[in-house]
Amino acid sequence: MAFLARALRQSNWRLSSRCPAVAASCRWISPTAAAGSPEAGAAVAPADLELPPPREPVGGARVELPPNPEDALEVFVDGHAVRIPKGFTVLQACEVAGVDIPRFCYHSRLSIAGNCRMCLVEVEKSPKPVASCAMPALPGMKIKTNTPVAKKAREGVMEFLLMNHPLDCPICDQGGECDLQDQSMAFGADRGRFTEMKRSVVDKNLGPLVKTVMTRCIQCTRCVRFATEVAGVQDLGMLGRGSGEEIGTYVEKLMTSELSGNVIDICPVGALTSKPFAFKARNWELKGTETIDVTDAVGSNIRIDSRGPEVMRVVPRLNEDINEEWISDKTRFCYDGLKRQRLNDPMIRGPDGRFKAVTWRDALAVIAEVLHQVKPEEITGVAGKLSDAESMMALKDFVNRMGSDKVLCEGNGPNPPADLRSNYLMNTSIAGLEKADVFLLVGTQPRVEAAMVNARIRKTVKATQAKVGYIGPPADFNYDHEHLGTGPQTLVEIAEGSHPFCSVLQSAKNPVIIAGAGLFEREDQVALFSTIETVAKKFNVMRPDWNGLNVLLLHAAQAAALDLGLVANPAESIKSAKFLYLMGADDISLEKLPDDAFVVYQGHHGDKGVYRANVILPSSAFSEKEGTYENTEGCTQWTIPAVPTVGDARDDWKIIRALSEVAGAQLPYDSLSAVRDRISTVAPNLVHVDERETPTISAEVKPPVKQQVSSTPFKAVVENFYMTDAITRASKIMAQCSATLLKK
Amino acid sequence: MAWRASLSRSLKEIRVLFCQSSPASAAAREFVKKNYGDIKARNPSLPFLVRECSGVQPQLWARYDMGVERCVNLDGLTEAQIDKKLEELAKAGESLKTK
Repeated sequence: MAFLARALRQSNWRLSSRCPAVAASCRWISPTAAAGSPEAGAAVAPADLELPPPREPVGGARVELPPNPEDALEVFVDGHAVRIPKGFTVLQACEVAGVDIPRFCYHSRLSIAGNCRMCLVEVEKSPKPVASCAMPALPGMKIKTNTPVAKKAREGVMEFLLMNHPLDCPICDQGGECDLQDQSMAFGADRGRFTEMKRSVVDKNLGPLVKTVMTRCIQCTRCVRFATEVAGVQDLGMLGRGSGEEIGTYVEKLMTSELSGNVIDICPVGALTSKPFAFKARNWELKGTETIDVTDAVGSNIRIDSRGPEVMRVVPRLNEDINEEWISDKTRFCYDGLKRQRLNDPMIRGPDGRFKAVTWRDALAVIAEVLHQVKPEEITGVAGKLSDAESMMALKDFVNRMGSDKVLCEGNGPNPPADLRSNYLMNTSIAGLEKADVFLLVGTQPRVEAAMVNARIRKTVKATQAKVGYIGPPADFNYDHEHLGTGPQTLVEIAEGSHPFCSVLQSAKNPVIIAGAGLFEREDQVALFSTIETVAKKFNVMRPDWNGLNVLLLHAAQAAALDLGLVANPAESIKSAKFLYLMGADDISLEKLPDDAFVVYQGHHGDKGVYRANVILPSSAFSEKEGTYENTEGCTQWTIPAVPTVGDARDDWKIIRALSEVAGAQLPYDSLSAVRDRISTVAPNLVHVDERETPTISAEVKPPVKQQVSSTPFKAVVENFYMTDAITRASKIMAQCSATLLKK
Repeated sequence: MAWRASLSRSLKEIRVLFCQSSPASAAAREFVKKNYGDIKARNPSLPFLVRECSGVQPQLWARYDMGVERCVNLDGLTEAQIDKKLEELAKAGESLKTK
């Protein structure tokens, strides 16, 4: 539960620690048995009748008393008075009072169903026990949670649930983290009275990610509500009634949402489990490490469960501001890519074209020798999508000290807008999108570019009927949207005020414009963003109290690369390169590279970049190193190593540091803290961990743009959601998803 | 202001670091707001990185060839003095080039 307490503190930015060392020391590694679901963990805690119940809110309870006293009320829980906002339910009031009510169907982020009846409590003056998740708390209400009536009610409900539940706990993957197991131990009877035949249900096929054993299903409908409300696909539903009730897809159909793996987490029993993880490990065998996802620019907070040197699974952890408690399927299931196609030894390509394993000393000596044979301006360094800030800082410093300015990060285009931070960040913040009432999406498809941001937009659209206008190629959205056009001409019409969507933007209180990072790759990027800024100014999108102008970045390294100033033009840098240093850069086009260029590839996977390489240097993946990543809203986060490094691989920045010494341009840092000190002289926000530094200098200070907007339509940036970087391309699970789930 | 047109030749990168709200960085904030457009119009390809971070002392960094960097602390300076400091950094770049 301690990590939940830290996550709660993290979700309130005012309480965030401003000292990175303290923030780092709060991170810990826990056995996952202790880090199970908060409901399960708390329910097992024995009730000590001698002591009054604790007054601290239950872990996971979210309460913020309104400033107006009229909007708060007082209720009594087991004799203790608590103040809660109006509109709270009885269950939420009990949570604030420190009483954990058992539940199966209730989930704080889903709508209320009330069909499991496990949360029954006694309310004074009420003739029958009350379903606390569905009953609003009234002023002066006296709630009793520990009375014989409440206990009897829960015992009866548990008896009904276990009636048809198969007794297959030893072979269930949910063992050790099952809400049904935990609550039957805490609230159930000590024997069963059911002697008739248990029913069985046919398993459903939801795809390569979710394994179903529907006989275990207790029909809590959490997965139905999640699919409908959060994921936005109407794939699941309840069929039949009474003892014939089944959860399924009505017809044979795969669950095609990018968030489908989250049903595994919210299912309180073992009906929905992870298919790739089936029968691999028990949760008490696993070591959990809190770290950060790098498969997109959202920076979702994850926990990597490992056993020895192997990553066994990835599960989400709570961060209210970034991913709440969901993660995308790519984040959750690409972990087997960390075990395949790995580079583990330095290698040099011989005269016959074959790679030969060598020692680090030999590899670095060869590279240094070539470095001294080329001119300084012929050196180019390219950082890849998964690079951390420390590695990019080292690469930039090294290439600069060798006399070249050509350092870039793939995906940032020919003219990166790196000067002002507000030009490349999500200035509204991911959580701030919930306050918007109009969205204008320009050249971005958040569903595949950043599934968690798309979930926020969908949440806002559902909650407040916010309007969404989209400019780009035809795309699949899971909320109502208006397709305004496919190219910049539509944007120019909006800027001129002649488009019908202008009236929607005009009447909006908190309009949001989201531009995709794919626009960075266009030659007319400067003119395009100038037009977007004109639209923003015209419709009052940027005010002192609201900044609705956003850029949705594509990959984990992009924000930090722009912060550090990796701004070289890729086409010109590649064309003139005689020495090319690829640091995990697998998606940059090397067609214009001269044939006699010397290429060094430093990375953790044998992906596209190694085919052209003359020297290969193995490095650590994000799960094996400490690194700084900045997400699309500008929040700096650290990864923590969960598993040891493969073979003879090293951290990226350490390789460059060693190379600089061999090459005679030694970098001045020898430790991670020294690199971070250096980073603080370039982009000090990158050392403020778990914080967003709001930029105040806006685009208004920029000089006028003379470039004209091209008429080329916007194009889709992510063709295959499941394969976007070296790790996902190495993953067999992602290959299965690409084969079965991608819409043709 | 003729020296501004030749900033690209003497400097490789300019970085301004300051706090978003502290009084010590007020002059740096105003300097960036008033002068960024002019400097950028004369030097479109010169990186002029503006990095805002709470609690940071206002600083002006210049990077020259071969990764050499110099820093000027802007605490207590007026806008005109900051402009003067930038000119000095540019002239230092010229002298570095001739070596």
